[in-house]
Amino acid sequence: MTQIHNIGTELDWVVLIIYMVAMLLFGTYFAKYNKDTNDFFFGGRRFTWWIIAMSIVATGISSHSFVKYSAMGFKYGFSSSMSYMNDWFFVPFFLFGWLPIIVYSKIRSIPEYFERRFSPSARFFVTILQLMYLIGYVGIGFLTMGKAIMPLMPEHLTVFGFQIHITLMGLIWVTAIVVGSYITFGGQTAVIFTDLVQGAMLLFAGLMVFIVGVAYVGGWHSFWNLLPASWKLPFAGFNSPAEFNSVGTFWEDAIAGSVGFLFMNMGLIMRFMATKNVHEGRKAATVNILFMLPISAIVVGGGGWVAKAISVFNPNLIPKDVNPDSIFVLVSNIITGPGVFGFVIAAIAAALMSTVSTLLNATAAIWVNDVDKPVRVWLKKIKRDEPADEKRAMMVARISTAAFTVLGVLAVYAFSSYPTVYQAHAFFHATLTPPLMIAIFFGAFWKKFTPAGLISTVVGGVALMLLGFRFPLELIQPIAHGTPYDPIHPFTYMAALYNLIVCTGVAVIVTLLQKQLKHIASRIKKIPNHNVIMYSMVVFIVAVLIIDLLDIFFKINISPLAGLVTLTIFMTVCVALVTTFYVKYDAEAQTIGLTVWSIHKAKEWFKGSKLNEREGENVKVHYKIVDGEEDVINFSKKDMHKMAAEPGDLVYITDTRKWLGGLKSCHSVFGKPHNEDGIVYFRNLHLGKGLFVEGRLLEAEKEM
Amino acid sequence: MPLDFFNVWLSYIYLYVGGGIFFVAGMILIRRTKAIDMRLKRDRFWWKIMLWGFVYYAIIHLILIIAALYW
Repeated sequence: MTQIHNIGTELDWVVLIIYMVAMLLFGTYFAKYNKDTNDFFFGGRRFTWWIIAMSIVATGISSHSFVKYSAMGFKYGFSSSMSYMNDWFFVPFFLFGWLPIIVYSKIRSIPEYFERRFSPSARFFVTILQLMYLIGYVGIGFLTMGKAIMPLMPEHLTVFGFQIHITLMGLIWVTAIVVGSYITFGGQTAVIFTDLVQGAMLLFAGLMVFIVGVAYVGGWHSFWNLLPASWKLPFAGFNSPAEFNSVGTFWEDAIAGSVGFLFMNMGLIMRFMATKNVHEGRKAATVNILFMLPISAIVVGGGGWVAKAISVFNPNLIPKDVNPDSIFVLVSNIITGPGVFGFVIAAIAAALMSTVSTLLNATAAIWVNDVDKPVRVWLKKIKRDEPADEKRAMMVARISTAAFTVLGVLAVYAFSSYPTVYQAHAFFHATLTPPLMIAIFFGAFWKKFTPAGLISTVVGGVALMLLGFRFPLELIQPIAHGTPYDPIHPFTYMAALYNLIVCTGVAVIVTLLQKQLKHIASRIKKIPNHNVIMYSMVVFIVAVLIIDLLDIFFKINISPLAGLVTLTIFMTVCVALVTTFYVKYDAEAQTIGLTVWSIHKAKEWFKGSKLNEREGENVKVHYKIVDGEEDVINFSKKDMHKMAAEPGDLVYITDTRKWLGGLKSCHSVFGKPHNEDGIVYFRNLHLGKGLFVEGRLLEAEKEM
Repeated sequence: MPLDFFNVWLSYIYLYVGGGIFFVAGMILIRRTKAIDMRLKRDRFWWKIMLWGFVYYAIIHLILIIAALYW
């Protein structure tokens, strides 16, 4: 494949650099809104739906989207948009299950949910998987950015007389330093607000490339007729070719990818946690999936569709053996002029910055909440319930952001062997999503799911997944729906189905056998040397894992497939037994408020008292400062009656300027009423949290 | 790619039957668990939006297939 170099002009570089510097300054301006880690990670839980929906667009449309969907659009047509229009199936689970659970349980990270729902050991395993998932995602982002910028670069650069050969990895390191420094200082509010600008900019740039491209080939009629019918279909072939087919995309993207993005992408979850309430989160998710995703499909795939039409219209403009991952950049250069091309590349840079900054922020949140704090509790440096040292936590958050930026770049090496970013991303989804997906799904929607089920899935399920990776013909082909076998990257997509089956199988079987496992565990406990038995099991588990890993990664044939599968199943049984034996689990207490079966209870816990669901009206007020430290605000009797509010209910108060999207707002609790209509009594802390402007009208809303 | 039932319609059917199973399971579950409270006007609104969303996407895909084949 041909790697293109030196496209674009000096003006394009000027536009690109100005944009990057402007975004850095814009992001760091919002650092002033980071009073504590709650602001740094969750933006103070204050924003309205439209601002979050827009920032989700910027997060969802990463630079990998532009590169990978345009590449597939160029090779296969409109079907490249399949992944953007198959996300609706899990919406009921998300809007009325996972979203209220994570908001009302007041968790700060997904692993924390697993500690409360299951056990600290469950949190440990999920933390590892979450960090791998997020670092992998960051790696994909960096890989794409490097591939997008590469065509702009010369093959060599001379600096102070030294000739530097420009490599993909070198470019990725430079990009990582810029992005890492911006997120390290800005925090979540910076991410949300820069995303607002970047989201708008990349939608505009993508649509512009599509519209200008259609005009370039002679208008819509000409564009439509240049493309063959198979090119205009919204779906790829059912089960071929191996690198792109409908059935594979269904399992890898519509199922594993959609759940991965909506349920376990901590970056996205943090966006929803930054909305002012669950209802706003639902609106943001719905608008995003129903309206923004179809538009986004055109934005990210349009470059490839236009490139195909151009290649038919004028076959000399696009080399036949062009690297598909360069197609978006190449076609943008063909159809736009100097400066405008720089703007389009800036949009790709915007996409990368949005996605990677969100993910790095999320990774830092997990590090602070799920690694740093538990380790300090374990080392007895702090007590479990001790309030966090905010200064230290912010420092740890910033250092970990920088460290994960480096790890993200290192992750690029794992993906760089794939011919296209699309396949690299598919491999990533199919491999890392299923165990966490099953853990979250069964944890939140199945009351009977136990810690033994969860940990067996994470250990045994993953071991069986790795066997599928090693023996694809024997284990994946029977369920591959006839998709062709590619010996270098076998069943990249259908591996998702196999992985889901083995993880679901382990989770369901272990959970259904919980009674028998408990019975065996209690009998072992009665044996005087029970610890020797349990330690032997742990040694057996570790030994089998080593055998599996040696066989999979070093191709050392220790045992035939049947032997490895049998050993792995026995090992999974041992994991289930060891977990049942050691992990204390109260099925009654650890499911209330943490599964879909008790959302109402979760809501009560969130509030801290009985719910008041009487419907009232919002009121407009001015504020007055009164003495006091407590987190309550006081309205007049008349205003409280209008809002149908009682003392102790939760209230949200915001600046009336809607375009601020809730930036100047805060949550509090209704205190005892007074007699001054149209006035709310604040304490100084509310002024600090809400950053309200003196004299501005505010709007108050009873939450629950 | 031949434009036969296998490549044109089976992909569509597979997506909406396969995905539909997950969707219907989700709708039933949130009703059974009372996570969605149909006594509340706001929740009834969301119920309709979720059903409408499924049909909306099915129709968009249907129109795109017909457009590709016949327009």
